Amino acid sequence: MAEARQIDMPDHVSARLNMGETVRIDRIGYAFVAFFTIPFLLFNIMPVLFGGYIAFTEWSIIGAPQWVGLDNFREALHDEWVINAFKNVLFYGLIIVPGVSICGLLAALFVNQRWPLSSIARTFFFAPYVVSATVIGLIWVWLLDTQYGLINHYLSYLGISHIKWLTSTEWSLVGVSIASIWWDTGLAFILFLAALQDIPKDLIEAARVDGANKVQRLFFIILPLMRPVISMVVTLQLISTLRIFSQVYVMTNGGPAGSSASPIHYIYQAAIVRNTFGYASAVAIILFILIVLITVLLRLVVRERA
Amino acid sequence: MKMFDAPRVFAFRNGSPQLSDVAVWLIGMFVVFLWAMPFIWMVSTSFKLPEHVLTEDIEWLPRVWTLENYRKVFEYPVLRWGLNSIIQATVSTGLCVFFGAMAGYALARMRFPGNGLLFALFIASLMIPAEVTVVPLLLAIIKVGWASTYQALILPTVANVFSVYIFRQFFLTFPRELEEAARMDGAGPFRIFWLVALPLARAPAIAATVIIFTLNWNNFLWPLLVTFDESMKTLPVGVAQFAPVVGTHTQLEGFSVSMAAVTVLSIPSLVLFFFLQKYFIQGISQGSVKS
Repeated sequence: MAEARQIDMPDHVSARLNMGETVRIDRIGYAFVAFFTIPFLLFNIMPVLFGGYIAFTEWSIIGAPQWVGLDNFREALHDEWVINAFKNVLFYGLIIVPGVSICGLLAALFVNQRWPLSSIARTFFFAPYVVSATVIGLIWVWLLDTQYGLINHYLSYLGISHIKWLTSTEWSLVGVSIASIWWDTGLAFILFLAALQDIPKDLIEAARVDGANKVQRLFFIILPLMRPVISMVVTLQLISTLRIFSQVYVMTNGGPAGSSASPIHYIYQAAIVRNTFGYASAVAIILFILIVLITVLLRLVVRERA
Repeated sequence: MKMFDAPRVFAFRNGSPQLSDVAVWLIGMFVVFLWAMPFIWMVSTSFKLPEHVLTEDIEWLPRVWTLENYRKVFEYPVLRWGLNSIIQATVSTGLCVFFGAMAGYALARMRFPGNGLLFALFIASLMIPAEVTVVPLLLAIIKVGWASTYQALILPTVANVFSVYIFRQFFLTFPRELEEAARMDGAGPFRIFWLVALPLARAPAIAATVIIFTLNWNNFLWPLLVTFDESMKTLPVGVAQFAPVVGTHTQLEGFSVSMAAVTVLSIPSLVLFFFLQKYFIQGISQGSVKS
């Protein structure tokens, strides 16, 4: 037992277990971690601190930064385009998060049956996740074309007249969401599938022997056991949806009239098009705070109910 | 691994199937086909003549097969964008996996003050969305004159914590005896890492490589921000100009050319995925479930 433990634990933990042994310090360890840690500090940590500073300044590419205090934040909270972008991203979340979770769950339940051709099903459900936003965006711009698109063509059989998926203010957000669901379902699907395969077979078998039918087994055994992974998928998807950008940029560029713009899209425009870096940073920090708040809130809700 | 047992094709598991199972199976396979449909439509459109694209009825196969669209795609600097993407993705992935392996090995196998703290910092940094760092990073890169350069494309993407994490998890369960034996033979820590530990870490190395390579190959926001020269764009950013709302000159080309462009763009990641599926899936479910 002691030996098995020693293998499973990091050295600094097992060192404390073997009281007799003198504690050796591997100074060479610093050299090993340095190669990764230096770019990590330079490119992942420093920009956060630097960003925290420039959010309080007015700074474009030319000239020196000017300290403006909370002005950027004040301005952002009254900027109707910022408010619009944050409102949009909540709608994105309301459509994409349930869409991805439900599609991913159904796909995982189906593939987990291991019926014929299920390995092909697994490949197809996951495949969209590995291609870039450009591929997703351009394919769906064509599929959702108002006049000749495949989607409107088949919808017309159901008596639904041509919907302006990407070119009307009412539908653009929905159009981008549909493409996003197709793109992101793969990840949720794989996580659900892995969780399904960890459910002990004898548990399901015991329920079957006790006379539970398939639907009962699903709702009273399988789904309750999958709660942790469901809450994880919802959280991950919500965070990634709050950061939605690339598909918006490719499919609608935020339009028409800002109806599909997201906070990151706004940040992109503030930085690249208008060169107001301080202001862009302030909006990024507001988004970050929103993400943290929502994540914490979600955690609390899940814990409360558990 | 159980997930990858080949299912017995054309045989239901528990003897004769129930009618309801067959019905669900048929519906499910129809949805699978729907899920693949956008890719099929992409490839089909890319081989059509432009005048055969906008049709009242859906034509799944081209009336005339043509390579004309692909020729048109290559009139744009697609080869250059492809080269930029290859350089960016391979160098960044290579450095990330190698540095990540070293760091993960040290964090798992060596005792030094700050070990646990460093790992906690790595994990905590996952909470920070890239978008918060992107604006200040861009400003700094412009200030030092690195805009539109390879170092600007590569360096900020090197420190992907996923790589450290996956190697650390692997080396935690690494048998101590192997290292001890090498140490007895007089090998130093670098030799042990290079000759003993790393060759045995094939599985995490492949998983980290395919996942991080795909992330880099598909990366969009950062290359979009940091490349101002047409010739320094990466493939996803360059090809995005075939979108009607993005490109100004490219939009005249129409859907057949844009589908040819995205077919070219999606081939590397799809091929990589089809052949190394198992590593993708293992790596992703391991990486996210445990963090």
